[in-house]
Amino acid sequence: MTRTATIIVDDRPVTAVAGVSLTAALVGDRRWALRRNPVDGGPRGPFCGMGVCFECEVTVDGVPSVRACLTRIRPGMRVDTGAPDDR
Amino acid sequence: MIVERDVVVVGGGPAGLTAAARLASAGLTVTILDEQPELGGQYYRRPAPEVARRWGDHRREGGELIAEARAAGVECRPGHLVWGLADDGRTLLAEDAAGSPVRLRGRAIVLATGAYERAFPFPGWQLPGVTTPGFAQHLAASDHTPVGERVVLAGSGPFLLPVACSLLALGVKVAGIAEAGTPYRLGRRALGALRHPARLRELAGYVARLARARVPIWQGTVVLRADGRDRVSAVTLAAAARPGLAVRTVEVDALCVGYGFRPQTDLARMLGCEVVTDAATGDAIPVTDAAGRSSRPDVYVVGEAAGIGGAHLAKARGLAAAHAILTRETGHPTPPAEARALARLGHFTALTDALYPSPAQLLDLLLPALPDSTLACRCESVTVGEIRAEATGDVNAAKARTRAGMGPCQGRVCGFAVAGLAGGDTVFPARVPVRPVRISTLLELAAEGETA
Repeated sequence: MTRTATIIVDDRPVTAVAGVSLTAALVGDRRWALRRNPVDGGPRGPFCGMGVCFECEVTVDGVPSVRACLTRIRPGMRVDTGAPDDR
Repeated sequence: MIVERDVVVVGGGPAGLTAAARLASAGLTVTILDEQPELGGQYYRRPAPEVARRWGDHRREGGELIAEARAAGVECRPGHLVWGLADDGRTLLAEDAAGSPVRLRGRAIVLATGAYERAFPFPGWQLPGVTTPGFAQHLAASDHTPVGERVVLAGSGPFLLPVACSLLALGVKVAGIAEAGTPYRLGRRALGALRHPARLRELAGYVARLARARVPIWQGTVVLRADGRDRVSAVTLAAAARPGLAVRTVEVDALCVGYGFRPQTDLARMLGCEVVTDAATGDAIPVTDAAGRSSRPDVYVVGEAAGIGGAHLAKARGLAAAHAILTRETGHPTPPAEARALARLGHFTALTDALYPSPAQLLDLLLPALPDSTLACRCESVTVGEIRAEATGDVNAAKARTRAGMGPCQGRVCGFAVAGLAGGDTVFPARVPVRPVRISTLLELAAEGETA
């Protein structure tokens, strides 16, 4: 059995392998658009996966501008993307 | 809080860990910091424990090196972002994972800040689902998660091959690899590279694996554009020789494009270390001696931050710097056998570079066909045409007028292309903060300063 963890993304549960990166949990759930570019409003998703590009910033447990690629999921973690309707 | 140590190491990859472990085992006080939630850097990036339990650790030696550093007494601080330098010119400013400020002073500073992928714009590259190959590799190796179901890899360099193999191992349909150069055929350059048979064998192994899976490698081929609404759905490719002309459109749900790696030198530049433009790559590299000592006597630059060369060379550079610091701090000379091994480093160059187009050749190849409407700077949403209109040979003037390269990534993603478009230096100046930092961290730091 593979242990899993469930997090809450934009008020909906998402389940992934325990302890993976938040980007992996989101990509595994086919949730690619995580924010809208503040200048042109276009949808953006994770790009570099190593903390360089800042395209995967989301709000985690109320803390804004958290890079999903540098964050590992914890059970019950609340994630708010900036593009909740883009799934 | 101020952390005072004999040595502060920034960057917990192969080079930084090797240096830190050697220094601490000789009795020096050492702190190592890394922005990632765990040590290991990109090469030794640790899989999630559950992924390792179920599917194995893809680089077990990374875990062993981290354990060795801890056992030697290195104080490990993952989740710490070093973003600035205090007015004294030697106190590093960092924030921990909770956003609290941390100040660090070392009698010596070892910068092992690694590298990041060289990106290049094309129409549609801002679409969700377009990523670097490194992102796909991390998802596969650390998180056992496929980046997509049907994927095209593109760009240039040997790294595309192992990424494709990692995706195949997860059952992903790799629709093809578009390589801008023509490295995988026997020519005079390839024969020259036979002097490094081990590296070639590794590449040949990947090529054989891809051939068995019938993954086409389209050589001399570049991305013309990506299409999709809220996520990439197709990529159109062109011949590098006629880059504006479509030759093939492939349906994908992920597209991973990268052109090798660039040294991450922002902290070295922030600390005032002299940098030069590498003639072969056009990238900034710090000026160092054989032990990694920079123009600042207390600052060493090791690993990929000192020039791209792979994990083996990175570890050797880390060890060389550790020995130089130990000699300075303790007076003990480097053991003769290790000194001989370090002397051989000079012969260890980037083995396969000659097979692939150089970054300068890539610019010549890719820039002319790039439409004006293409987004160049993803952060500030600045187009290629806007930068071309300000192309006066002064990249800083172009930045100031267009805001290109002035967003959160500070030009790490677009810098190569923006410099190519604007002319002038290919590396942007490093300004404090080198990464975005929380206002609350700055306020807390200011409050600490008033009470200190």
